[in-house]
Amino acid sequence: MTERHRAVPFSLLAGVLLALTAAVALFSLAIGRFPVPVERVARILLSALFSTEASWPPQETSVVLLIRLPRVLGSLLAGGGLALAGAALQGVFRNPLVGPQIIGVSSGAGFGGAVAILFFDGLFAVIPLAFVFGLLAMVAVWSLGSGEREESLLSLVLGGVVISAFFTALTSLGQYVADPYNKLPAIVMWLMGSFASSSWERLLFAAPVICCAGTLLHLIRFRINVLSLGQEEAESLGMNVRRNRWLVLACTTLITAATVALAGIVGWVGLVVPHMARMLVGSDHRKLLPVSALLGASYLILMDDIARGLTAAEIPIGILTALAGAPLFAFLLKKRQRKGGAWM
Amino acid sequence: MYRMLGNRLRVVGTGLCALFLVCFLMSPGDGAQTVVTDQAGREVVIEGPVKRIVTIPIPAASMVLAIDGSSERLVGMNPLSKTAIEGEILSEFFPEALRIRSDIVQGEGFQPNVESLMSLAPDIVFQWGNFGDNLYIPLLDAGMKVALFKYGTQEYLEGWIETFGAILGKQEKAATILDWHRKTREQLTRRSEAIPDSEKPRTLYFLRFLANYQVAGKNTHNDVSIVLSGGKNVAAEEIDGFAAVNEEQILLWDPEVILLNGFERDLTPEHVYANERLKGVSAVKNRRVYKLPLGGYRWDPPNQETPLMWMWMSSVLHPGRDRFDLPGEMEKAYTLLYGKTLSRAQYEHILGMERNRGSAHYEALFGRAQ
Amino acid sequence: MITMKKGGFRYSRENWIFRNLSLSVGEGEILSILGPNGKGKTTLLKTIQGVLPLSEGSMLRGGSVGYVPQIAAVSFGYTVLDMVVMGRSRHIGLFSSPGKHDFSACRACLERLGLETLAERPFRTLSGGERQMVLIARALASECRCLVLDEPASALDFRNQNTMLRTLQSLRDEGMTVIMSTHVPHHANVISDRALLLFSPEEHLFGDCEDVLVDENLRRLYGADVRRISFSSGGRGYSAVVPLFS
Repeated sequence: MTERHRAVPFSLLAGVLLALTAAVALFSLAIGRFPVPVERVARILLSALFSTEASWPPQETSVVLLIRLPRVLGSLLAGGGLALAGAALQGVFRNPLVGPQIIGVSSGAGFGGAVAILFFDGLFAVIPLAFVFGLLAMVAVWSLGSGEREESLLSLVLGGVVISAFFTALTSLGQYVADPYNKLPAIVMWLMGSFASSSWERLLFAAPVICCAGTLLHLIRFRINVLSLGQEEAESLGMNVRRNRWLVLACTTLITAATVALAGIVGWVGLVVPHMARMLVGSDHRKLLPVSALLGASYLILMDDIARGLTAAEIPIGILTALAGAPLFAFLLKKRQRKGGAWM
Repeated sequence: MYRMLGNRLRVVGTGLCALFLVCFLMSPGDGAQTVVTDQAGREVVIEGPVKRIVTIPIPAASMVLAIDGSSERLVGMNPLSKTAIEGEILSEFFPEALRIRSDIVQGEGFQPNVESLMSLAPDIVFQWGNFGDNLYIPLLDAGMKVALFKYGTQEYLEGWIETFGAILGKQEKAATILDWHRKTREQLTRRSEAIPDSEKPRTLYFLRFLANYQVAGKNTHNDVSIVLSGGKNVAAEEIDGFAAVNEEQILLWDPEVILLNGFERDLTPEHVYANERLKGVSAVKNRRVYKLPLGGYRWDPPNQETPLMWMWMSSVLHPGRDRFDLPGEMEKAYTLLYGKTLSRAQYEHILGMERNRGSAHYEALFGRAQ
Repeated sequence: MITMKKGGFRYSRENWIFRNLSLSVGEGEILSILGPNGKGKTTLLKTIQGVLPLSEGSMLRGGSVGYVPQIAAVSFGYTVLDMVVMGRSRHIGLFSSPGKHDFSACRACLERLGLETLAERPFRTLSGGERQMVLIARALASECRCLVLDEPASALDFRNQNTMLRTLQSLRDEGMTVIMSTHVPHHANVISDRALLLFSPEEHLFGDCEDVLVDENLRRLYGADVRRISFSSGGRGYSAVVPLFS
């Protein structure tokens, strides 16, 4: 295993993955219900850059530049962000079973999003409220799951179940009291997850948040290694554990909140993709974080291609990621048992 | 298409015969007994005069108000029935209707709180019969009389009107309303049969537009209405029932006319025109996006004013053809249904003259300039 | 190098874990801390390290302290080199990752302990003895001048105990200050210059190894009969501390 990691230089692997992600994104611009020839897609993109004369129907331009491009970028950012956040969370919680969903961030952020839809119009309230409630949920799970001196896996997961259930109930309450014609459809769509309403405007809200928090996480990726040793060891290695931990938690919650604003609740990406990345590069977060982000981006772009292109009706992406993620995760869990409890 | 319509009409015919056969009615008077067979095939026997009615299906409240011509006997309704009354024409016709209780059901569901319902002491409760039996069994267990409705087709709707007529003792009025429904329908069927296929505009109805794009495919009342009014429902081939689609799919269908639901309060054609990503759609280019009117009820689902909706839709789909005199027809219909005359402001409010002002032909079609 | 004067520690409002404790170790010296389980050895090590602040008294450190924990569960499959390089975190800025310089420093530390062949192995696949040695390498990578070890040899087999004690001795000979806790008095007897016995929170004995590790004290410490015996084998004199089981 180790030999394999060293056999391919990391920079080469990262380069290949980067190129792959770019290829997937470009390829996805040519996919969709409205037929636009590939060659035309390329010319539309070039014309956007160099503003050349358009010799094709204007619908094709708006399909590629106004509908597909923001949507592909949205799923790229959300997928990359969620996988990065998942990998970082797994490190800090010292537990590869953790994901934004398991530790309650998703349901907290989802509730925040629902509150924002219920009481405010427009997008501006979604990110801050999703952030506040996502963080609240995570702190609650953290304090339930970690005793004073030792963190226990079981109580962490159980804490996540409890807090998730609580926030899910609150969200259901929101659904129950929501105006069925004017608010409820938006909340329901939120909870199932969809990039269908991606637009440049929405992207403008979420992209800076995901990029900043993601960059920050990437910069402190070595700290995540140290944090993953546990509080005592990290402290003895001279690290301010509290500060660094909070930095990671805040960043991951920001990313989750911004994704919620972009596409509602998209589960399983943050849990499953880091495992795939671990198979490629091992557990070292210095490599794991960037590789997770790249894999997550391609993964979600492809999932969204299915969501928007397979049938005339939109398939909610949250359903697709859960359908793909749950069996994949079950497989990894089984594989882990066979290996005697070792994650990689 | 014609064959399909023919089939539908045959179904209507047999459905109606069956209804006539199973509806045994007696004039309600003091001590009299009313017997109705509801749409689940159950026989409902009510002793004495019906004085207190509760309706849980959403369009049912305004139908009771229309057929009874008064709000006195309706004592409870779905909160969503009330939102179709508040600020709309029925609140001007029946201002006391706003005081009728609507807290027996919450949210989008139809599950009533049995005790709240009992406290209203209803002589009869109207409830859905095809959304699971847990919606009405508790009411029966509590000793209430329940009549069940089914949802979706014009045939069912006509059965409702009949049942309401029987229970309210307004059989004649109900028959007149039904007659009007059937005649308008026949008229429109003939009319749309005369329109060559190539001249039927590609039409798309949005059940929801703001949160996501939900459209009506085949097996919906809206699909039937579009066909009846001389249009082609672009979603009918690929969508069954209602489903969410994306903008690309809308561009691909390229509808020539877009119809917007009356449910989303704030939705207007301007939302569609302002959507940068839909500007390539023919209906947007030609500004043929229309918001459905809201009269005695939202015109989207089957209700007592459905013939008016068909007339409106056929005018919108075929502005250049001979059309109904909607203002005149509405005046007649409102006299029949509610015994009221519409003021000009009320008429304009119902048709959404203001909201649809920016759309092609609307003023010419429905403005009362003539 | 390390001096504690009348030190005391307790978690807020709880009972004292230790109190009125004084000790001092110089460069190139080994201090062993002995006491039965649960008498606060690990807590004391943490205050020496500086992770826990003293509740009273004073502490003087002549240089940075590197810590070697008892073998702990590792959640992730890091390689040996990944583990060792984490020892560099003191020298790496908040937003940086270890560079070439850090890695070569770490390889040097592994070489210093003769572990260079393990560098690319997954840490998880190592034996207990190897893991313990790697953790020492990690502490050395932080360029510390004092090593604090929590029960470094207790969980090892005889061969690895020997390697561990030899390693500590050679580090001492290079001028390193070594402080370790142990519940095996024999280990302390073999390598220590100083010894600290923890009888109870308020009662302790600190001094040169030969003066402190005497039968009487050990008997009192463990509540069992313990003898220090001397013998010669192959022309060399040995001394051993053994319990007399009855």
